[in-house]
Amino acid sequence: MLTEIQEGKTLNTVVKHITQENINLYAEASGDFNPIHVDESFAAKTPFGGTIAHGMLNLAYVSEMMTSAFGQNWLSGGKLRAKFKEAARPGDTVTINGKIDCVEQKDDVSYADCSFECLNQKGEVIVAGEAIVKLSSDKR
Amino acid sequence: MQGNTVNYEELIPGYEFPTTSYELSASLVSKYMQAVNSAGDGFVPPLAITACVIATMASSFSLPPSTVAIHAAQELEFFKLVPIGSTIELRTIVAQKITRGKMSMLILELEIFNQDKEKVQSGKTTIALTT
Repeated sequence: MLTEIQEGKTLNTVVKHITQENINLYAEASGDFNPIHVDESFAAKTPFGGTIAHGMLNLAYVSEMMTSAFGQNWLSGGKLRAKFKEAARPGDTVTINGKIDCVEQKDDVSYADCSFECLNQKGEVIVAGEAIVKLSSDKR
Repeated sequence: MQGNTVNYEELIPGYEFPTTSYELSASLVSKYMQAVNSAGDGFVPPLAITACVIATMASSFSLPPSTVAIHAAQELEFFKLVPIGSTIELRTIVAQKITRGKMSMLILELEIFNQDKEKVQSGKTTIALTT
């Protein structure tokens, strides 16, 4: 957890390597067997040219970063908005970066407004978005 | 997960999917944590809930032939911690359906409740369909 919640603070980066095995496991856990994720021969015929990771897998990594920074405040008072810009593919290494853009007060409650992005190993942004965390009063 | 599906053409704004419920068992959460390569903390990760919900939504309608569905955007809000073993209920409605040439976008609004009927999560899922 972050010990100091202040504007400009960088969140701990999360780095993950995407494998087809992870994607298959994610499909089993979630029940999302869309062939674009798990059927290589089907995916090869699509504009993607091969399987891609579930967008929600990348978002799970974002949530891991947010949980690491804000703990239960994120799990029970978090809000996010994300756009999936590019696909993550097996073999990719995904880096999730985030920072606190501002801390604001509304009706006696503090909120940390954060931005995040997931980059692949080429530096391309594959997911970008914003997250807001409702902070309890003892956090500041 | 429900076996009944509707055709994509039948999905119009305001359409409400049949309510579904599931148990977020320890084995499901364990499998999810293994898939995302992360450690657990006794609660169901909110994204695990969303993942199951999106899979349920996606399997509850059939796509036009030769169509690929891609998750384009996601909004989420978490209200309460969900302990492992909880049963959740999902309510989903079609918020918007946009068609532009060969590209179509389906926007679904979801609300998730625990067994005490308290809202634990809400969100908006944008699915892009392309041929």
